[in-house]
Amino acid sequence: MTLAADDRRLNDLPRAEQTAVERRDRMFGWLIASPSLGLLFLVILFPVFWALYTSVHDYTLIAPNFDTFNGIDNYTKALGDPEFRHTLWLTAFFVAAVVLLEFALGFLVALMLNSVERFKAIYYAILLCPLLMNPVIVGLIWRMFLHPSLGIVNYLLSLVGIDPVNWLGSTKVALWTIVMVDIWHQVSFMIVLLLAGLSALPREPYEAARVDGASALRSFWHITVPLMLPVIAVTLLIRLIFAVKTYDLVYIMTRGGPGVATDLVSYFIYRTAFVGLNIGEASAMSAILLAVIMGLTVWLHRYMRSLT
Amino acid sequence: MASISLSNVHKFYPNGYAAVRDVSLDIKDGEFMILLGPSGCGKSTTLRMIAGLETISKGDLHIGGARMNDIDPADRDVAIVFQNYALYPHMTVIDNLSFGLRLRGVGRAVIDQRVANIADMLGIGELLSRKPAQLSGGQRQRVALGRALVREPKAFLLDEPLSNLDAKLRSAMRTELIKLHRTLGTTIVHVTHDQVEAMTMGERICIMKDGVIVQVGAPMEVYRNPVNTFVAGFLASPPMNLLRSRLSAQSLSLGDTVLALPPALGQAFAAHAEREVIAGMRPEDFHLKADAAASTAPVKVHAVTTEVLGPEVILVATVSGEQGAEIHIRCPRDFRAKPGEIVIFHYDVSQLQLFDPETTYALKRPVQI
Ligand SMILES: Nc1ncnc2c1ncn2[C@@H]1O[C@H](COP(=O)(O)OP(=O)(O)OP(=O)(O)O)[C@@H](O)[C@H]1O
Ligand SMILES: [Mg+2]
Repeated sequence: MTLAADDRRLNDLPRAEQTAVERRDRMFGWLIASPSLGLLFLVILFPVFWALYTSVHDYTLIAPNFDTFNGIDNYTKALGDPEFRHTLWLTAFFVAAVVLLEFALGFLVALMLNSVERFKAIYYAILLCPLLMNPVIVGLIWRMFLHPSLGIVNYLLSLVGIDPVNWLGSTKVALWTIVMVDIWHQVSFMIVLLLAGLSALPREPYEAARVDGASALRSFWHITVPLMLPVIAVTLLIRLIFAVKTYDLVYIMTRGGPGVATDLVSYFIYRTAFVGLNIGEASAMSAILLAVIMGLTVWLHRYMRSLT
Repeated sequence: MASISLSNVHKFYPNGYAAVRDVSLDIKDGEFMILLGPSGCGKSTTLRMIAGLETISKGDLHIGGARMNDIDPADRDVAIVFQNYALYPHMTVIDNLSFGLRLRGVGRAVIDQRVANIADMLGIGELLSRKPAQLSGGQRQRVALGRALVREPKAFLLDEPLSNLDAKLRSAMRTELIKLHRTLGTTIVHVTHDQVEAMTMGERICIMKDGVIVQVGAPMEVYRNPVNTFVAGFLASPPMNLLRSRLSAQSLSLGDTVLALPPALGQAFAAHAEREVIAGMRPEDFHLKADAAASTAPVKVHAVTTEVLGPEVILVATVSGEQGAEIHIRCPRDFRAKPGEIVIFHYDVSQLQLFDPETTYALKRPVQI
């Protein structure tokens, strides 16, 4: 019998066969977890259920009551709304771009930092700076930097003879600008997590691989990547979920514009709720978003599991 | 297959510690060399320098005649068994075994064949689909050994490859390694703590202490003629008894015992007469019966305790008139003695070794007497 099978057997033991010690451990576990469970219920589960309840009612800020039950009307309306569908696709694109680029860049920098021996702390401190900033501040700073005529970015480009770019005002460029600023802000998160993973890797398998005849690239592919998969999975997941929620940057820098070029779904839901005052439909959209994120999470988790 | 030659090799670790100092050792092509020494004496460091996992601070390393100091481990074509196994944790046993072969582009059929052979030889055939975390220590060690053995390198570097196996398995693996060496004829450097491995497996033993080589030689040669008290007290179990004594012309005084030396020995040691020496006496050279042919002399001892091992009994005793120092004597399996009991043994004086108490090095004696 394998070890894993042994573990499973312990957990599947019927209650009567558990020892007193096991029962006491279990009770104690519940006891120390209960305050945080209570808090979680209050600040997370309750709002989620409230939103789900709202999403099946005709609840607006003009008539804020649950008098009219309208079933899945809010959902069909939301899904039938081309603007909502546009924001969903736009968000999907944004998330994919941000997560993949940040991951690639982050892994590269983490690998480099992992082999650095001197001044590691200094690099670390510099890298962490953006992460410590509030997204609103980041948005404001970059809006200034990227100002078409007064911003430093266009000035610097002019020095090397490049024409000014309308960073936030052009429908073609604006989304990529947001992507770029988000990378600037969040890539350190990837670096820090991946670096922690890398420095926790055992040294011995690399030595074995060197003697076995592996080049640096092969060691990376056959040892680093497989050993890092759990860390990679978690990093991608967290970043993915956070990227879907991106709201502050858009709000500060473009308000979803120009036109609907940067109208990410969180910002659109916010507008539906507090500009359109339609809380019911906004709740339905949130529920759809929640379902999508949960689906993605489960899929990514399973996929990574299947690799290891 | 290749010779391995270390000339004046030093290793200084980054913290300044000199783990290996001025080691020169020529391992012949196809030789089975044992590295033996107490913990921390630099055996693993030496092995890792040969493999290329530690840089050589000073001196030269040649494998097969080519200088290897700056050659990448991958290109040295040696296989190593790590003291801590260093298995690939995310790979199954079969992948651990075949990884090196796959990297070197060996064909699928050949890989399967060799892996099957090695797995069979090491008795790990049933474990092939497990990951290292699902193996016991001894099973992991056998996988580590197998990973080195499936390759056909110029040399095998084995860092205590049998240390974690039970006695029976260890002796079986010992035999397998000797057989393997006989069929492949590959150069092997084998690090061990185990006296039996050291004596039975290698063609030569290299004994190290505090980062330097103390003695190199065939097992029986090192056993018969240890160069100093360290080697005498380290090799074999129980090791040679080392007793302070006084040398006179033609005799040696141990406590209140006077051993008459055979003429050949007396002459050899004549230059050192009338001074303190350390007498080295192997536990197996004490006999219960006198043997005229073997020039034995009686020694009176006080029994302290006995260790009944089964095939033999080890008597721990003090020499009469000599305070403190305990000696070990190998006795037949039916030998018994009560604590304090006086026993007369007949020591084979022709086997006596003498060491200089100041330098600890052996006094020259005739090769054959
Ligand atoms: N990375 C290191 N930095 C500094 N000192 C080290 C390092 N590795 C080993 N040493 C020291 O070098 C000496 C030799 O170590 P080594 O591992 O070669 O010993 P060993 O003979 O293999 O011992 P053992 O039989 O216990 O395995 C030891 O004193 C050890 O403390
Ligand atoms: Mg060692």
